[in-house]
Amino acid sequence: MAAGGTGGNGGKTYSFKVVLLGEGCVGKTSLVLRYCENKFNDKHITTLQASFLTKKLNITGKRVNLAIWDTAGQERFHALGPIYYRDSNGAILVYDITDEDSFQKVKNWVKELRKMLGNEICLCIVGNKIDLDKDRHVSVEEAESYAESVGAKHYHTSAKISKGIEELFLDLCKRMMDTAQAEERLKGNGASQSASGRRGVQIVDDEPQATPAGGCCSSG
Amino acid sequence: MSQRTERRRGIHVDQSDLLCKKGCGYYGNAAWQGLCSKCWREEYQRVRQKQIQDDWALAEKLQREEEAAYASSQGAQTQSHSQSTPPQTGHASLGPFSKFEEKKTNEKTRKVTTVKKFFSPSSRTPPKKETQEAKTPSPSVSRHASFETEQVSKDFVDFLKNLQKPGREIHKQCRAFIVNMSSKKELGADELSECVQDFYQNMSDRLMSHFKGSSDSVEQVMDQVEKYIMTRLYKSVFCPEITDDEKKDLATQDRIRALHWVTIQMLCVSMDEEIPEVSDNVLKAITNIIEMDSKRVPRDKLACITRCSKHIFSAIRITKKEPASADDFLPSLIYIVLKANPPRIQSNIQYITRFCNPSRLMTGEDGYYFTNLCCAVAFIEKLDAQSLNLSAEEFERYMSGQASPRISSSEADWPHAGPTPAVTATNPVLTQLNHNLELLSGLSSRQESLMAAARSLQADLQAWPERVQREVHSILEKYPLEVMSCTASAIDANNMDNDNLPSPLTPQVFAG
Repeated sequence: MAAGGTGGNGGKTYSFKVVLLGEGCVGKTSLVLRYCENKFNDKHITTLQASFLTKKLNITGKRVNLAIWDTAGQERFHALGPIYYRDSNGAILVYDITDEDSFQKVKNWVKELRKMLGNEICLCIVGNKIDLDKDRHVSVEEAESYAESVGAKHYHTSAKISKGIEELFLDLCKRMMDTAQAEERLKGNGASQSASGRRGVQIVDDEPQATPAGGCCSSG
Repeated sequence: MSQRTERRRGIHVDQSDLLCKKGCGYYGNAAWQGLCSKCWREEYQRVRQKQIQDDWALAEKLQREEEAAYASSQGAQTQSHSQSTPPQTGHASLGPFSKFEEKKTNEKTRKVTTVKKFFSPSSRTPPKKETQEAKTPSPSVSRHASFETEQVSKDFVDFLKNLQKPGREIHKQCRAFIVNMSSKKELGADELSECVQDFYQNMSDRLMSHFKGSSDSVEQVMDQVEKYIMTRLYKSVFCPEITDDEKKDLATQDRIRALHWVTIQMLCVSMDEEIPEVSDNVLKAITNIIEMDSKRVPRDKLACITRCSKHIFSAIRITKKEPASADDFLPSLIYIVLKANPPRIQSNIQYITRFCNPSRLMTGEDGYYFTNLCCAVAFIEKLDAQSLNLSAEEFERYMSGQASPRISSSEADWPHAGPTPAVTATNPVLTQLNHNLELLSGLSSRQESLMAAARSLQADLQAWPERVQREVHSILEKYPLEVMSCTASAIDANNMDNDNLPSPLTPQVFAG
């Protein structure tokens, strides 16, 4: 697990942090387990935990280390969101297509993420459980038009029948790489390295102020 | 610092005694005459300024006197040579005076540090003779050295030996940095953090160009660098007096104590402590999180959090038989923190965020667990009735200690509580205890019946030979031994055919 910084100029390795957000029971965990272990509700799942998983990818010759951070989806932990998603490059917002409420939660998350992190973060809105299409309560058009309106991509997945998951992550990685490259160009090649390193530090310094603020806003 | 120790030792001190004498609302310190650091500095500056002014005034007065004396004695030219010096001594007296002032300052600050040292936890290991530190130019650095720092210096030097020339360079830089940092004691925590982070950044940039982008070796060296400098700087930058970390620590500690009634069911934790393996893991997790405070290097502290998390995952895995998701993990971690009430948790979190190598904290697995710990502490700070699915009145009653949740909430919240819901809901340890007691009483009753059976067996055994003997006797009596008389006869007495037999053969004798 060499989560080395985005260093080195030639054989560049990208390290991305992706947070998984969504209500409990929408299948966040199943989604990552399917992606990282290719297993679903399996008794033979070897990992001890499914809350922090890593995946190494090679996209067009570039190495990508993906760290996937699961978050607690219960309502009572909602206020803790900012602590989880600060510094993340991407967010996967999962809802259950048979559960209208879970889609509303996604909308809340999007608002919050855009407010706190701006446009730097790549958002993916994911309608999970499409194997239960007959019980669908969130219409495809509604979800897709909403995603477009907030600058996010929409995907349909099923962890159970393993559908759409590879595409989701691959797409997200590509978008994050684009964002990272754009950022680099913006800052100039020489300064990029130290700039990306410093970014983390500065946000750490902000933490004491940022945390209570986020808590108050979302709970009030 | 001193007031913390006082609390820890259980000496009762009134809150108002601890506050700054100037009434600014911050805590004061006996070493600073009961003022807080800020007021003390102001006060001290004022006094010092006044002293300097007084010195000047005195010096000027002396000079004027001398000049007057000189003027009056101008007639006597012979003495002028010897007298012309006093004005200079007047001026010169400034020197000694300010020197004296300086000395006093030094003495005062030293006093503060000795008081600090007296209370600081590692004062048990007195500074030893140091071979390496002896060379350091700043005495204040070497003064803080203890056995641990000596050890870490040695390890660091050993590690750098493999790197040869760049190793020496790294060592030189680290040493210079530590000396530099020790002169910056007055800085705020954020500035200190900035300094250390800048140092990490510069160091890793340089290493990156040296190792030509091999991030693994850079990381290896950076880990050692972090270990070295943070062990050396630990005392001056962990929970510094300028910040209110300590106040937060105490607040969190009290908060967790006040929340002692929170049960595993209220948090919806998916760990079943009745399974021995699970409770074993829970205990280990608690031990690990408490152990964190004893480590000096941010990375070691992180490792404690990671070990704690791994034990929680094991516990969840055993209970649920599937890998733990964040939905399970965070409540469990909160539960562990509540149970452990880890010492100086806020200071530790702040220390790690300020001084850990960011590459480790931001993306790695350790970083994830650390983030979860931050979340757990934030949750505990803000915890209210809603977050435990309680009504506001209930929450108030529990918080004020008027009621305890053992009976009221147990049936409603936990349907599968088993035969003794009231006890189960209160405390898993109690449950276990009760369970064990039941087992024990069952065992003892079984043992009693076993003993009874054994005793009856013994009685049976003792009775048996008697019975047998009696039977034998009765039989013997019933059938007494009759000895029949019989006439003995030769073998062939009854043989009738004796007469018909031929006469026995007689041996024939041959003469020689």
